[in-house]
Amino acid sequence: MLNAIDRELLKTVADLEDLPKGAYNIRKDGKLLTRATTANIDIETYGDGKGIIVKIKPHTVNESVHIPVILSQAGLFDVVYNRFEIGEGSDVTIIAGCGIHCGGPDPEGHAGIHEFIVGKNAKVKYVEKHFATGPGKGKRTLNPGTKVFLAEGAQVEMELTQIGGVDEAHRKNELILGPSSMALVTERVMTEGEQIAESRNTIILEGAKSRANMVARSVIKGDSVQNFYAVMEAQAPAFGHIECDAIIMDRGRNETIPSLKALHPEAELSHEASIGKIAGDQLTKLMSLGLTFDEAVAKIIQGFLR
Amino acid sequence: MLELKDLSFSVPVEIDGEVQEKVIIDHLNFTFEKGKFYAITGPNGSGKTTLARLVMGIFQPTGGKILYEGQDITNLSITDRAKMGIAYSFQHPARFKGLTFRDLLSIASGTDDEEMILALLRRVGICSFSFLDLPVDAKLSGGEIKKIELATTIARNPKLAIYDEPDTGIDLWTINPMVRLLKREQLERGTTTIVVSHNRAFLEVADSVLIIVKGQIAYQGKLENALTMLSDMSVCSYRHCDKCSGEEDAECYR
Ligand SMILES: Nc1ncnc2c1ncn2[C@@H]1O[C@H](COP(=O)(O)OP(=O)(O)O)[C@@H](O)[C@H]1O
Ligand SMILES: [Mg+2]
Repeated sequence: MLNAIDRELLKTVADLEDLPKGAYNIRKDGKLLTRATTANIDIETYGDGKGIIVKIKPHTVNESVHIPVILSQAGLFDVVYNRFEIGEGSDVTIIAGCGIHCGGPDPEGHAGIHEFIVGKNAKVKYVEKHFATGPGKGKRTLNPGTKVFLAEGAQVEMELTQIGGVDEAHRKNELILGPSSMALVTERVMTEGEQIAESRNTIILEGAKSRANMVARSVIKGDSVQNFYAVMEAQAPAFGHIECDAIIMDRGRNETIPSLKALHPEAELSHEASIGKIAGDQLTKLMSLGLTFDEAVAKIIQGFLR
Repeated sequence: MLELKDLSFSVPVEIDGEVQEKVIIDHLNFTFEKGKFYAITGPNGSGKTTLARLVMGIFQPTGGKILYEGQDITNLSITDRAKMGIAYSFQHPARFKGLTFRDLLSIASGTDDEEMILALLRRVGICSFSFLDLPVDAKLSGGEIKKIELATTIARNPKLAIYDEPDTGIDLWTINPMVRLLKREQLERGTTTIVVSHNRAFLEVADSVLIIVKGQIAYQGKLENALTMLSDMSVCSYRHCDKCSGEEDAECYR
């Protein structure tokens, strides 16, 4: 059922050698390829096959859902809307990702909106990888959108990665945090050539004692451009931090705008941002350990994006 | 094993709108013998770190030559010199985002084998394994990063090891174990060792003490004969030693 290209894409975006254990939904070229549900995790098709609704029963623990999307059909622009309802007290991992294999001159793309409704005291780890490959010159576009609603005491850890080959990406993340909830968002993006990647983030600390930490790491090679915007707004006594670092190589360009809004006097918000080349002292250190200049650059980037 | 021949380093500086040459290392000549332990001391800004950087290849001399095991290495890269067995512990170690102590150790030793890494930790006397997966970033204390720096130098199994103020930020109780460690590396492995330090503990175990003043060697020989000169220069350890250990170093040295 999976061909060699599918397997390679799945391996890259979802670390899958074969069909995963637990619940999964694999979408290929705009259509459902295969699906599995478990006693606690149900997956339903949503509106004409344009997406899925994943329902996770309360107190489901140590289970995972894989929902990769693969595209290898030229000229296709696949748009999906996925919704995740995570029952209270659950502890689950959701692995998403989109792999594009582009064989021809026609553009291919994917836009996905993922909405997470995370129940009271539930814990979710969401891992998303985006990757494009193939010999074709067609433009590969990925426009993901994520909306997260955290109920009281809920926790989400999001790892969003764009590994390479994506020509254009416009990402939008929105999180709304209820009382005592917690969000940790890590975004890693590497661009090269003429690629463009933009990330817009809005994190609303709505409930008292909510906490959010957003970490963004960008590596900008060639003539590529990456822009990063993050707004952290506290409407209650809450804690938020934004940390965004961009490494510029070659002629890359970057705009980074972290913004903090405190609408409550007991809000505690902070940010750190940096844009620059790889630090010279890091390079000399690694060269003094025997690496060549190029090997040192590769190690530093590898660590930075880890 | 390391010969500095008429070594000079100067940088252009602008004074009152005029560009002048500032001499940092001034026609320096010296031969370091294989397997010996040298302590280099001298006032701040006298050129000790610059000298170490010239040997490692981080700076290019403006005059003179560097010979290592009989070979002229003056024009070799940092990488080439590292591969020939020269290692340098930076005075102000680089801090990374993402790389861990384990990463640095495995780059330095050329292996990521868990047993080998643990053996290295034991060799440098670091007992807490949790240290291994700490990112070598801005969150580490000054003392922690200096220990990591020293460990990565030892992990190279260097023939020539240069330690630039390894004791900065290290607590008083750790100085003596550190001295013993570097001494053991010298004696058991024949590592030619150069330690830049103001700390008496290092000067006392050195086979030879060098005092650098204004980019020149002002003294070379036994510690005993250097004491008057050191106290004249008020290298602080010799004046009020009990007051300036550990964290208070900054107060006396700078
Ligand atoms: N690349 C450089 N450009 C300009 N000045 C330098 C450079 N490197 C070192 N210096 C200057 O050279 C002098 C010696 O510095 P350094 O070798 O760090 O001294 P030490 O290690 O003995 O304290 C100082 O005055 C320092 O400011
Ligand atoms: Mg110095």
